[in-house]
Amino acid sequence: MKKTNLLFTICALLFSALLNHAHSQEVSNQEWNQFRGANRSGSADNVELTSFTDKEPKLVWKKKLGDGFSELTISGGNIYTMISERKDSITGDEFIAAFDEKTGDEVWRTKVDNMFFDTFGDGPRSTPAIGEKNVYSLSSYGKLSANSKKDGKTLWQVDFMKEYGSKIPRWGFSSSPVIVGNNVIVEVGGTDSRAFMAFDKKTGKEVWKKGEGIATYNSPVHGKINDKECIIFANGRKVYSLTTAGDTLWTYNSPISNPTGMPIVFDGNKIFISAVRNPGFIVLEVNNNKAKEISRGTSMKNDYSSSIYHDGYVYGFHVAALQCISVKTGEKKWTKRGYGKGSLIRIGNQLLVLSDKGKLIQVKATPEAYTELGNIQAINGKSWTAPSFANGKIYLRNLTEMACYELK
Amino acid sequence: MKLKKLQAFFLFALFLTPGILVAQTAEEIIAKHIEAHGGAEKWEKIEALKIKGRFTAFSLEKDFTSYKTKCGAYYSDLYLGEQHVFEGFNGKCGWTIDPWQEIEYARNINSSETNVFKQKAEFFTPFLNYKKKGHKVEYLGKDNVDGEEMFVLKLTREDGKSEKWYLNTKTYLEYKCEAPWVDFAQPVPAEMYFDDFREVDGIIVPFFIERTFWQRDRITQIESIELNPKIDKSLFAMPKRKEISKLAFMEGDWDVKLEFMGRRGTYRERGTTQSCIKFASTNMLQEQISYENGFPNNLSINFTYDAGTKKYRIAAFNDFTSTFDMFQGELKDNILVMEDTHVSYSDKPNAARMCRQFTYTKIDNNQFTVENKVSTDEGKTWKPQARLTYTRKVEDSLSKK
Repeated sequence: MKKTNLLFTICALLFSALLNHAHSQEVSNQEWNQFRGANRSGSADNVELTSFTDKEPKLVWKKKLGDGFSELTISGGNIYTMISERKDSITGDEFIAAFDEKTGDEVWRTKVDNMFFDTFGDGPRSTPAIGEKNVYSLSSYGKLSANSKKDGKTLWQVDFMKEYGSKIPRWGFSSSPVIVGNNVIVEVGGTDSRAFMAFDKKTGKEVWKKGEGIATYNSPVHGKINDKECIIFANGRKVYSLTTAGDTLWTYNSPISNPTGMPIVFDGNKIFISAVRNPGFIVLEVNNNKAKEISRGTSMKNDYSSSIYHDGYVYGFHVAALQCISVKTGEKKWTKRGYGKGSLIRIGNQLLVLSDKGKLIQVKATPEAYTELGNIQAINGKSWTAPSFANGKIYLRNLTEMACYELK
Repeated sequence: MKLKKLQAFFLFALFLTPGILVAQTAEEIIAKHIEAHGGAEKWEKIEALKIKGRFTAFSLEKDFTSYKTKCGAYYSDLYLGEQHVFEGFNGKCGWTIDPWQEIEYARNINSSETNVFKQKAEFFTPFLNYKKKGHKVEYLGKDNVDGEEMFVLKLTREDGKSEKWYLNTKTYLEYKCEAPWVDFAQPVPAEMYFDDFREVDGIIVPFFIERTFWQRDRITQIESIELNPKIDKSLFAMPKRKEISKLAFMEGDWDVKLEFMGRRGTYRERGTTQSCIKFASTNMLQEQISYENGFPNNLSINFTYDAGTKKYRIAAFNDFTSTFDMFQGELKDNILVMEDTHVSYSDKPNAARMCRQFTYTKIDNNQFTVENKVSTDEGKTWKPQARLTYTRKVEDSLSKK
């Protein structure tokens, strides 16, 4: 081999390695393709954000949006979410819709159900899951739909209330489906051991069913516990761990009733679960397919907003106070009031907190003290939907509008 | 030796009376707390407050206005989310108009709500003149809240309900309070947090108050406080229902001319009597009237408005017939027509039954006429029977002018 060839080969290998490395970093932060983003953790790693005070977030666009609380999912240059629009004071439609990530302009919308009306805020609560070609959504009246990402064409739809005897919860069906392999897995709340079900992504046909329980507001977690792939459902007063094939690994009778916030899997075999009622939170440890409560406390009571785990601490909204607690002891490390019943995500070593009135606050993800790095009034009005992050931009939604800010 | 014995006696006495020691400590803390709020002297000069600002409920921020008086009266006009809510309290009894409860009119508050309204009526701190108000205070010691050292005081109101107050040991200002509250009229425990203390003409007031109970979060952000504003005291009174208020022309003391239909088909005067009409509740006007038509008749006539049927109702008790009679009708173009054609007291149809009608006409502030007619054909035709002409008593008339 000639020297030039060798040099060329080395350069090519180095370039390729560099490219792969950059790509792997980008991939993890290019998409926010399901409820709470990657691993449903509400976090994005390998990103360092500049302080808002050094560089204020730049508004890219802001658009009116049909009513709803569904999170904004971002994939392949589009934003996918659920919206609703009134026809008159008592009727309307619910849609799955796609918007251009760069402009916020609507690309398509497809009706999936009738509009859900509620005095606390109209519209869907569930967040769609984005697959390679299709988007999977659960409507307020319990219709699971698959729509083409390209044009919104409906590929299949399953009606939970009609097919499985599910009953609509007070705030409508709110659980967000998760894609696992060839299946879409979701809480159904049906009769005859059809609390949780898996459906074939391509056809919508039932793959497996499991569990007893009505439809709640909790969404399943797909992750690994003790290196074994599993799906965690926190339904009513029970926690289920199932294999991806629907077999039961273990169940646990929980003192936490009807959690809405996502269960958090951490340290390889522990689960943090919180709800607004007493006792507040518990931590389960799983060994040999047996779950055991290792701690509980009242210092974190998540209502509809999910917490974040980071380096041994949980950051979240204790009812209406932003708080950091030690996951080991439950000890409160710091509290910050004034953001109402907000929401948060973690980007690198920072928390991006959205107040319930649309103020975006940048906070250090550290237990030492509440340290604010800056804030902007990003949107206005009732803001109950957690932010989404992709490609260095943050995507926000309140009840009636959405906005995109450049953060880097 | 004697001195030593005396010292020992005093030490023993002090040991037996820890309550006095504790009370002194609580008193001292409260004195410094009131001082931190601007001092008792400045607060003594305040008879009333008008507070304006922004109130957040269900994450929606809207304007609010409140009034509070030294005697414990309170009124507020606020929004709970999208719903417009009104609250009033005269120091003992209160009312609310809260569309969240799907009640559009003012209703009396329950005992749990009364306790909450007493808290709302305070001039921010309940420790101001707390003994005069009948409150009792117990010092529970110190505690750490959110990294700050606090004095903890237990305040028990005269109704027996207690609150725990956390006062910052450095500033003596309140930081947190745990107190009974209500959610949809049901009792729930609440936590309150106070912040952003500002001076207003010498008094110090928290301009930020956050209250959490159950999963609810309420934020009060004060924008302005007016000391000793002019207050219309009728604000605190429970508002009458809108529809029954349209019959307010009847309220008062009346001279009543009585005329009964003679055989020739004309009215004949049969003397005068008196009537007293007043509001017995926010949806009930009550008339007491007596007259003789051969026999003495003493009537108690109750007027109400039924929101369901959107009609006025009369329930009249006559002690001569010793029974209740019911009438229903509408007020149109300043004429109130009440009749019993829609009222049946029997399961079987009675072809011979006689229906009655009362028509209130010529209505103005000082006079109105009631004509009584009867029908034997279920209201197709009516025959006049009696006419009562009400003239407001002179003193009352003067006062109305």
